[in-house]
Amino acid sequence: MDLFPVWLSLRVSIVATALTVVAGLPVAWFLSRRRHVGKQLVAALVVSPLVLPPTVLGYYLLVLIGSRGPIGRALGALGIELAFTWRAAVLAACVGSLPLLIRAAQAGFESVDERLEQAARTLGRSEASVFWSVSLPLAWRSIVAGIVLAFCRAFGDFGITLMVAGNIPGRTQTLPLAIYDHVQANAMREANLLALLAVAAVIVLLVGVGRIVRVRY
Amino acid sequence: MLTVTFGKRLAGFALDVRWEASEAVVALVGPSGSGKTLTLHCLAGLVRPDSGRVALDDLVLFDAAAGIDRPPRTRRLGYVFQGYALFPHLSVRDNIAFGLKGWPSARRRERTEMVIERLGLGGLEARSPRELSGGQQQRVALGRALATDPDLLLLDEPLSALDAPLRRQLRDDLARTIREWGKVTVVVTHDLSEAYQLADRVVVYEHGRVLQSAPKSELLWRPASESVARIMGMRNILHGTVLKASPDRIQLRWRGQTLEAVNSPSRAYLPPPGSPIAFFIRPEYVRLIRKDRGAPDPHHHMNLMRGTVVSQADFGTIWTLAIRLDEPGPPAQGDHDLEVEVPRLVHEILELDRDHRWEFSIHRGSIQVLPA
Amino acid sequence: MTWLRAALVALVLVVTLGGTAGRAAEPPTLTIFGAADLSFALQELAARFEKSAGSKVTLVLGSTGNLARQIEHGAPADLFLAADESFVDELAARGAVIPQTRALYAQGRIVLATAKAFGPRLSDLRALTDAKVKRVAIANPQHAPYGKAAEEALRKVGVWDAVRPKLIYGENVRHTLQFLQTGAADAGIVALSVAGVPEVESVTIDAALHPPLNQVAAVVRRSARPELALAFIQFVNGPEGRRVMKRYGFRLPGEF
Repeated sequence: MDLFPVWLSLRVSIVATALTVVAGLPVAWFLSRRRHVGKQLVAALVVSPLVLPPTVLGYYLLVLIGSRGPIGRALGALGIELAFTWRAAVLAACVGSLPLLIRAAQAGFESVDERLEQAARTLGRSEASVFWSVSLPLAWRSIVAGIVLAFCRAFGDFGITLMVAGNIPGRTQTLPLAIYDHVQANAMREANLLALLAVAAVIVLLVGVGRIVRVRY
Repeated sequence: MLTVTFGKRLAGFALDVRWEASEAVVALVGPSGSGKTLTLHCLAGLVRPDSGRVALDDLVLFDAAAGIDRPPRTRRLGYVFQGYALFPHLSVRDNIAFGLKGWPSARRRERTEMVIERLGLGGLEARSPRELSGGQQQRVALGRALATDPDLLLLDEPLSALDAPLRRQLRDDLARTIREWGKVTVVVTHDLSEAYQLADRVVVYEHGRVLQSAPKSELLWRPASESVARIMGMRNILHGTVLKASPDRIQLRWRGQTLEAVNSPSRAYLPPPGSPIAFFIRPEYVRLIRKDRGAPDPHHHMNLMRGTVVSQADFGTIWTLAIRLDEPGPPAQGDHDLEVEVPRLVHEILELDRDHRWEFSIHRGSIQVLPA
Repeated sequence: MTWLRAALVALVLVVTLGGTAGRAAEPPTLTIFGAADLSFALQELAARFEKSAGSKVTLVLGSTGNLARQIEHGAPADLFLAADESFVDELAARGAVIPQTRALYAQGRIVLATAKAFGPRLSDLRALTDAKVKRVAIANPQHAPYGKAAEEALRKVGVWDAVRPKLIYGENVRHTLQFLQTGAADAGIVALSVAGVPEVESVTIDAALHPPLNQVAAVVRRSARPELALAFIQFVNGPEGRRVMKRYGFRLPGEF
């Protein structure tokens, strides 16, 4: 049985989770500050992917990054293929998992006592330094929970990936898509095996990471 | 010289303060919610006032008109927050060294060690804040604020998180530390004895305004108004009627007595005869007259009065008596007219357990008039 | 735990940086986007074509509607085998497929399928109104051609309103078939070409009850291998291909 989907999914979800963390933490930080203008609008945008059906979301994304879309055309001019490649699968996974990471991280940042951040400011730290040395370490538990959620969501994405990356075997067929194909063909033995592999892979990864990232403080 | 003038509007609260201090230590006192902590936040740059100016000597920290608003990190200050705000994820040493980030590592280590030693935190360097007692936490917070050698030190209720017996002792330590380090210090406290012990100047706040700013001796003796007297916890705040007023003395009528008081020197207060007047009498300055020495001499004993002790309370080192005058009519303060404090020794000598009828006098200097 | 740490980092690096995401040096690959009703037929056709033409075939199966949308937005398909000509015509109008390559390759048939687990084979659409039939599966009429045909047939026979409350919709005919295979539905309407599975018994529905399911193929304009794609269409419409298609119950060009 072809195990390509397993590797592809691991690769896509790890890269997607990394990107989600890099993009999502600043947004979560911004949303946790009390006094910013436009906060409600950003918060609504963040949650919106959760509200739309994944295939619909995928379709809108495809309109943007496909050969007729503004982003797709711009990237194409630079010689970069996005839609229907594994990169699109990464994008799909990111879109699905960003809301989860942002909400969890935002809650974490909000739970940090404001006075600690104020103290850091009076002790000569810039805003960036306050973030790195106070807010982030103290919100760490929630952020890790968010990352776990984001990873699982990225690994299991189906609808968005199906639309923007396609279900192309040997190229963009991630594990969830492969399982679905087998289920559709009523090949339950293969489907069950892949599903088991999926769960096992995720468990191994999360346990391993959990041991390495010991929560300090 | 610290000059502070600013206004700040918040939902349902308006802060409008103006005071100056050339003294080393200033205490801000007043009821909670009167704007003291907000003032500290504005001094620190954590909150931006709507208008005004804050300057420490020739360094302007904030000036609305000139568009100057230095961020907290450039104000060279140390801030001890209420509850200390120690970083829970850092050790004592890292907490104290937190403000020394840009320093070369040798100097940083040296400075941190010095602070740890001077504040008596030796042996606790590796502990985390939650392993410390309240007093230790307070010292770490202080050390953290002082480590950077700030020009201005801000303390928000530095002792209120501690229980009473500890507070007493730490207050002495804190007073000593503040004097040793010699920084311009602003302390916020609701505890008056704390304010008296720590500060040279007291600024009295109420509802976002400054009622009085004065060196503490002046405040102790000459509160500017009845509100200030109440906030300062003065007792025996009474109301009478003016008989005659002159720049240095005021004669007034109270509970059938004719009393002579000194006038408040801070204003030329000359209320017309017949107008109401507020005044206060310090409980510890009421003299009970010994009965074994014959009739009291009116020249020696001013403001002579006669009354009965209706209740007494034992406070360990002193007794507080509630005295009702031998005058018809309702007493001025519930069931009594005056509160009097006597040291334990006096209480025993005069046998106040047994004997409740007394004559007493009050020197005119101990009756303070409160201008309206 | 440093060995665990190192092992994990190595694993992550290998997985994310190593590997080719499926693009090694290979013989030319023909990517075919095919409608779900062609699942079984296409698999066989592809295997035969690979042998005779010596090139690899990658099959991407799905619902015609979704596939059309993807082709429109640049999906890397060489050839589109649709279950409904309107989708191909739409793509041609938008310039996504080469109009000259438009070729009718089959006409689909729908069948009334009964899950063996339910009971004896139903032989008439009107039997679907029976109270014993609890759930009826059809492909989603909104975007699946076979679903549209199913709806048409039900309307024509006059049982649409009665059966409608019992309907469950599959994304495409394969999905619909799955409902029957697993017993989630008692009966349903699926493509004849997929109905040859052991769990199901079926009877062909009169073609007059629905507009013809003209299945049309076209070469995608973006294709780098249009000749190969064309060759496949010709293969399907050639003697070997027609034999396979016939076996799966399609009506062939020339027969209708």
